[in-house]
Amino acid sequence: MKLELVIYPTDSNSSSNRHTINLEGSGPFTLGRTQSCDVVVPDQAVSRVHAEITIDGEDIVIKDAESANGTRLDGEEITRAVWPSGSIVTIGSYSIEATRKDGEASRTSVKIPPTGGAFPPPQFDSPTVDVGALKGSGLPVEEVDYLALGGGLGSFIWVDHLRVFGVPAANIRAIGVDPEPQAKYERLCLNSQIPRRERLRSNSISTPDNIWGFPGYASRETWVDLKNGKLGGLKYIFQVFGEPAIAESYTPRAGDVFESIEAEAKRIGWSDIWVAGRIVKIRKTTDGRFAVAYRVPAGHARSGPRNKILVGKHLHIAMGYPASRYLDDLQDFKREHPKSDRVINAYEQHDEIYDKLEKNGGIVLIRGRGIVASRILQRLWEARAKNKDIKVLHIMRSRIVEGRKFDLAQRHAEHDIEYQPFNWPKSCWGGSLRVLLEQADPARRAELMQMWGGTTTADRADWDAMITEGKKDGWYRPFFGEVEGIELKDGRIETKLESSQGFKEEVRLDADYIVDCTGLVADLEANPVLRDIISTYKLERNNISGRSPEQRLSGLKVTNDFEVEGMRNQSGRVYVSGVMALNGPYAAVDSFLGLQYAALRSVAGLAAQRAPTLKQLGPFRSASQWIKWCRNETP
Amino acid sequence: MTPTLMGRFQTRILLYIFLALPITACVSLYLDLLEIGRFWDPFVFITAMTVVGLVLDPVYMQIQRFRWDNDWPFAFQFFFTILEFGITVGLMNAGLLDALLVDRIETSTALFHFTLVFIPSFVALLAGVQIFLVHWRFKGGELGRL
Repeated sequence: MKLELVIYPTDSNSSSNRHTINLEGSGPFTLGRTQSCDVVVPDQAVSRVHAEITIDGEDIVIKDAESANGTRLDGEEITRAVWPSGSIVTIGSYSIEATRKDGEASRTSVKIPPTGGAFPPPQFDSPTVDVGALKGSGLPVEEVDYLALGGGLGSFIWVDHLRVFGVPAANIRAIGVDPEPQAKYERLCLNSQIPRRERLRSNSISTPDNIWGFPGYASRETWVDLKNGKLGGLKYIFQVFGEPAIAESYTPRAGDVFESIEAEAKRIGWSDIWVAGRIVKIRKTTDGRFAVAYRVPAGHARSGPRNKILVGKHLHIAMGYPASRYLDDLQDFKREHPKSDRVINAYEQHDEIYDKLEKNGGIVLIRGRGIVASRILQRLWEARAKNKDIKVLHIMRSRIVEGRKFDLAQRHAEHDIEYQPFNWPKSCWGGSLRVLLEQADPARRAELMQMWGGTTTADRADWDAMITEGKKDGWYRPFFGEVEGIELKDGRIETKLESSQGFKEEVRLDADYIVDCTGLVADLEANPVLRDIISTYKLERNNISGRSPEQRLSGLKVTNDFEVEGMRNQSGRVYVSGVMALNGPYAAVDSFLGLQYAALRSVAGLAAQRAPTLKQLGPFRSASQWIKWCRNETP
Repeated sequence: MTPTLMGRFQTRILLYIFLALPITACVSLYLDLLEIGRFWDPFVFITAMTVVGLVLDPVYMQIQRFRWDNDWPFAFQFFFTILEFGITVGLMNAGLLDALLVDRIETSTALFHFTLVFIPSFVALLAGVQIFLVHWRFKGGELGRL
């Protein structure tokens, strides 16, 4: 049996973007992001193994493989369905059409409804649903006052604030796929070569486990060291004292942060709050609340129902799925060679290349100059300890002779890289730059963020020494210019570069691997749930800025309290945090401290409106809650 | 720290009221100044030092503008507080506080007093205020809600 699949990006169905894949046999054929799939779809919104196709007699059957973002057939979410000829399956930002090439195509398959009944129920087709009607539909409906969607760090930090502000665990639910709130974040860390023993680009007082920021990670680390008789631990306190003027900025160990989150999750009763589920649709209700349709993953459903509804009075959405993006020419290469493992994104799992390099040596080409590039360079430097035959080529767009200027200040630049301890100037989190941005109009905000942001890395002495050593010994070479194209040649990848070093010349660079270190983007509309609420409720977006040069990558327009006004439903409120609020009133949304800031603003905002079971956190309650934190007692 | 001008003013006054004044009262009593009618002299000194700080705060804000992070490292806070103490002693010895003081305070006594006020105030900036005021660290040291 022969099957022809045509795949193209949903938003650009031009002939140059259409790719045809022929499959033979009856399957099952896997569709997903990893190279081992039969059909590789290079999109971060696509799960590693996203869906499965089988030929069942005369029918083509498509089955969702518990993917994170779901599989749609002609726009309708399915778990398993017959795929009639002419119908379009959508996964992530790609559309797929299927045709039988063995004479069966002329038959007209009859579309059968997805198994398990239509979900979400038809009420969800209109912008407002009636909770009574939902209850009548026979689906399990649970009601709480506070509902966090996403289940990652953004949700966790918001829930942590609610708990400290007095809301009982029984009155909060958080829907997500991973039981540990830091799971997704930790995966991204591991992929970009930050295991638990390495340090994050974060500060001592950015404490996702503690709403006060005290004790910070530096004093905790000092404390642990001193208890073990290590006087050297005092250096962390000194770093906080002197940073960044007379000491290198303190950064916490990833493992310390994750363990602290695990402890806080236990303290606030996260396991009772977390609900395993993938969100399918969000709707306003007629009684001023919000209904969320979600599907329980097979592994968690036991024998219970898998399609459920949660109704909440106040919603927090932190589903701004940060996705790794390939540079355009690398994306084209991935499309042409979906099975090649030579082009890698630093945020995707790629440990095996270090094993191969340590064994065989080779040339690695790094694209991009940010913090991830620094970390990958460090990992390659470590690999060089095992095999000196590893060389690194580093392509950057242009030379940087001097750092950017703002007001009377100038950013430090060296080795053609701009440095700042964190991804924004420090006072964006809680100083005068925060106020300046909040008070600016949208156009000015975009301008300010353009000036303060950009690609930077941390000024770490060890990284600096590696580059200096690499340049001296010749295993590291930077190149500057525009990439004209890349192609596969004799098993290696050749990069054609229009160099801008001194005079214009064309440079050809051969490498065994290309690592794209240009970072993460968040395309809100790649997530069908967010795309749906954006269009249903006509939600406004923020202006674009340097961080996200395309409108689709900009966040939702929010108030200074991080409320999405377009979602307001009588007294019901919807708040967001993280990249969902990118380019809004606050710059550093996608940082631990930024998530804490957003959570504090929204929870304090709810407290001011006298939201149910939420109390104000005055000085005395705050201090007594802090003591409970120290004693590890439930809030 | 990433203070704003209002944040500097408000935090300074907060620490003055809740730490400097009670500690000064204790110092005054401990030195038996009440009996000799000089109970208020240390209060005059610490108040003068607070005023010196308030005058210097806009200057610090100008220095901050030259810093890319627009921040104020703890090391700066440490150094400049000692400088404020030096300036206040200088002003006192120049006779500028004579109208308010019963008698000028000896430098060693002033240093003793200053140290007792300075250490807890510095610790409060590092680790104390945010326990009571959760919004404070995001407001550049200003009080109240965000």
